[in-house]
Amino acid sequence: MKYSAMLVAAGVLSAGTAFAQGAPIKIGVLYPLTGGGAVYGAPALVGHQMAIEELNAKGGIMGRKVESLERDDKLNPATASSTMKELITKDKVDIVLGGLASSVGLAMTEVSKQEKVVYISTIPKSIQITTDKLHKYVFRTSANTDQEGEAMAILAGKNKLAKICHLELDYAYGNDLEAGILKAMPKYAPDAKIVLTLKPKLGATDFNPFIPQVMAAGCDGVLSGLWGPHFVSWVKQAAPLGFFNKIKWISGGEVGSHEIAGELKGEYPDNVISNTYELWYKGNDPSHKEFQEKLAKKLNTQETPQWAALGYIGVMYAAAAMEKAKSTDPDKVAEALEGLSIGTPVGTLTIDAKTHQANIGQFWGPMVKKPDRAYRMMEPAEYIQPK
Amino acid sequence: MPQRRDLIASAIVVLLLALLPLAGSRYAIDLTTEVMIYALFALSLNVLIGFTGNISFGHAAYFAIGGYACAILLTTYGWPLALALPAAVVLAGLVAAVVGYFCVRLTQIYFAMLTLAFAMLVWGVAFKWKEVTGGDDGFTGIKMPEIIAHHVGYFYFTLVVVAAGIAALWVICHSAFGLTLVAIRENSVRAGFIGVDTRHMRWAAFTVAGTFGGLAGALFGMYHRGMYIENAFWTESANVLIMVLLGGIYSFIGPIIGAAVLHLLQTFTNQYTPYWPTVLGLILLVIVMVLPDGLIGLVRRVRARGGRP
Amino acid sequence: MTLTMFTLNAFYGLALAMNMFIIASGLNLIFGVLRVINFAHGMFYMFGAYIVFTVAKTWGAPFFVGVLAAGAALAVIAFAIERLLLRHLYDKEHLMQLLFTFAIVLLMSDAAKMIWGTDQYSVGYPPGLGGAVNLGFVMLPQYQLFLCVVGPLIAVAMWFVVDRTRWGRVVRAATQDREMLAALGVNVPMVYAAVFTIGSALAGVGGALAAPRIALVPGMDATIINECFIIVIIGGLGNMWGSFLGALAFGFVVQFGTVLAPNWQDVLPYLLMLAVLIIRPWGLLGRPETGH
Repeated sequence: MKYSAMLVAAGVLSAGTAFAQGAPIKIGVLYPLTGGGAVYGAPALVGHQMAIEELNAKGGIMGRKVESLERDDKLNPATASSTMKELITKDKVDIVLGGLASSVGLAMTEVSKQEKVVYISTIPKSIQITTDKLHKYVFRTSANTDQEGEAMAILAGKNKLAKICHLELDYAYGNDLEAGILKAMPKYAPDAKIVLTLKPKLGATDFNPFIPQVMAAGCDGVLSGLWGPHFVSWVKQAAPLGFFNKIKWISGGEVGSHEIAGELKGEYPDNVISNTYELWYKGNDPSHKEFQEKLAKKLNTQETPQWAALGYIGVMYAAAAMEKAKSTDPDKVAEALEGLSIGTPVGTLTIDAKTHQANIGQFWGPMVKKPDRAYRMMEPAEYIQPK
Repeated sequence: MPQRRDLIASAIVVLLLALLPLAGSRYAIDLTTEVMIYALFALSLNVLIGFTGNISFGHAAYFAIGGYACAILLTTYGWPLALALPAAVVLAGLVAAVVGYFCVRLTQIYFAMLTLAFAMLVWGVAFKWKEVTGGDDGFTGIKMPEIIAHHVGYFYFTLVVVAAGIAALWVICHSAFGLTLVAIRENSVRAGFIGVDTRHMRWAAFTVAGTFGGLAGALFGMYHRGMYIENAFWTESANVLIMVLLGGIYSFIGPIIGAAVLHLLQTFTNQYTPYWPTVLGLILLVIVMVLPDGLIGLVRRVRARGGRP
Repeated sequence: MTLTMFTLNAFYGLALAMNMFIIASGLNLIFGVLRVINFAHGMFYMFGAYIVFTVAKTWGAPFFVGVLAAGAALAVIAFAIERLLLRHLYDKEHLMQLLFTFAIVLLMSDAAKMIWGTDQYSVGYPPGLGGAVNLGFVMLPQYQLFLCVVGPLIAVAMWFVVDRTRWGRVVRAATQDREMLAALGVNVPMVYAAVFTIGSALAGVGGALAAPRIALVPGMDATIINECFIIVIIGGLGNMWGSFLGALAFGFVVQFGTVLAPNWQDVLPYLLMLAVLIIRPWGLLGRPETGH
């Protein structure tokens, strides 16, 4: 019983300070920081922290200091749900950002609905967040699977693919992306035909059951949703067989990011066309240069990761919405977010008032060798932004 | 029969818990609700471990079945809670009975691995049966009856259900059945000689464990308004196993203490650092190297040294 | 399935089996002698892969120097763990040993994060093994062929050491009766330490050898430990040839199963274990345990 008394005291204390004049604005954020998800969560958090530092250097939000409460979601939706509730009920955060896995994003969407606190989904792409499960308080600043699928269909059409092999990971993101691609194909690639669809499992490390099937199918192109380590393992196992010599590999899942190119270096295969949210070496907005330089300084490397931009944009949106609403009241902030346009390192973005989805685009392009670099770069990188 | 002292102590704990919402902290209420659910979950597993000596690596399966079944019956089929909850618990118990039938033919690590295999099948079903379970997106948006939709209402509901569950388990464990299980754990060959059908007894224990695990799962799903395949994954089974071992397997309240300590530690650690694995790793090392009987064993030893009963 | 496809799948199944056997053999050896279920084996595997990355890619040493370094490093780590901590636990319950190895997993996972960060890494194929052999009707990747040679070599070497040398006789005796062996003047604790060291070094070598084929990411230890357990369990715990057979069953079931019934791929290894344990409760080549 001693401990509950302690908790009660702590709860009262924080409640008391939250209503004081000029008290800091609290932004809660969840990213996976342990296990496999940390590959993406850790850099996203760096971007998040950078945005908070910038805000405070400029005098905070509405003249109030900004405090960032950062938690590990452990890639587990129930943990995310408990932790988000804790941030809301104990720490009295004004808004919650983050997430990575679709299931975590959906769990956070549910808590946001119950607790009537604004949640901005900064990485999860699950289409459900902005369709079936959409409610007043949830918003998304990352791309969704329909947008990504449409871009892939456009590229399939541009590259005049006729026989397509379709590879998706057999879980929510893969299935949603598949649906997004199939929806857009008739419009953008009417002549293309999908001759084979294969779905390796999430977390697969051995792709030998699939590689020979794709090679035997005689496709001229692959549409793939294999991200991160899945793509790397596929490349390593397929490249020795000359897999990439004839097949064009059009891929979502950000395998065009520098994180993948910089790691695979000489092993990165030919004929890959993919996407990334941001490229350290190419911006589409004047503010990108400043953003990238700051990030490079913070991380002590010129070649900065793309995920930081997503964490950064989430904070920018939270700040802009509160400034516009002149309040931290969730109802007012949610209303302010609807239709809100802001300038970001990847250009001006607008959150749709109806779907609560930001029209964030991605860079798409072929990954080419550069004579003066050990790794491939995306060139030309085209910024495809949904209408 | 329970000693009077134990009964009074239990009554005081329940009463104090019942007063908690009056203190007004929403956070304390939520956290206590979570702890109570985990306590029941851990206690259900200990029916198997503590009383038969069989370790299950797959206890999350029944937790998940109870949670999913209750969630789906409430939401998809619109059943009232009074039907959905018992149905979910019965389903978890039935599946445990079927799985247990195969598992109790094995012992030790083979038993553990078979429970793991079955549990991963349950996980696989939750993952792939997307139309019903929501797949790896999870099953969110559970419809809750008005009366327990509010967090205070849910706290009292959990308190009543968990207290009843713990009382039921207490009665079971201290019945002739429970004592027979202890005999099996201590010396199964000898128990067999004196006419105990060890396999049937272990089977019954397995089913009881699964049933109450399902009850905990149902409470968990409603609390979170969602069930997720991660709740059926082996990591969840490992987590509850650690709760049991942390508290101590040879006493009735050990797993309850273990669940409370582990969950609170996990929650508080995450407020300060993502290096939770290091914290837990060090705790486990301490238990293994110096506290083999868990926290309860430590309490007993300290008491014995102090000369108190 | 055409004959070409069948041949390819059979080959890939074999390659997977050999890859897994190299890793699982160490786990099995440790259980066979020490009776310790080593959950940290997957973490040792991951460390092996990361060490070969550091040595071969960051420092630029030849790949096989990196493999040896991984084996040596894991030997040192394992020896320290055994001498400092694990040796105090042999007389305690199995549960305590299990919790202990789990604690090692947790501590090493954070250690890996501190040493290597959370980035994703990749290691190139060693020169001369990054291509494929063209047999006319199929192409076989050289590196997989190489693993198909290394796997059986390790099996034969282990069989030779355990069954044909004096030290092997001591090790086998240690599984039967420790007290008697000690009474005969054998330094049993050092035998235990040696077995734990060798078994763990095999995990390190297994991780290093697997590294060129896969992406190195935090959490790569989790799947592999389950799969290794499945292999040694279906083979019969402690039985080396059982593990070999278990690895073969695993390799073929996973390869063919994934091709023929992709919907089941997430649970294929578990289905295999389920089937084996229901039909043969002690594994393919195992024998019922007597007593406690």
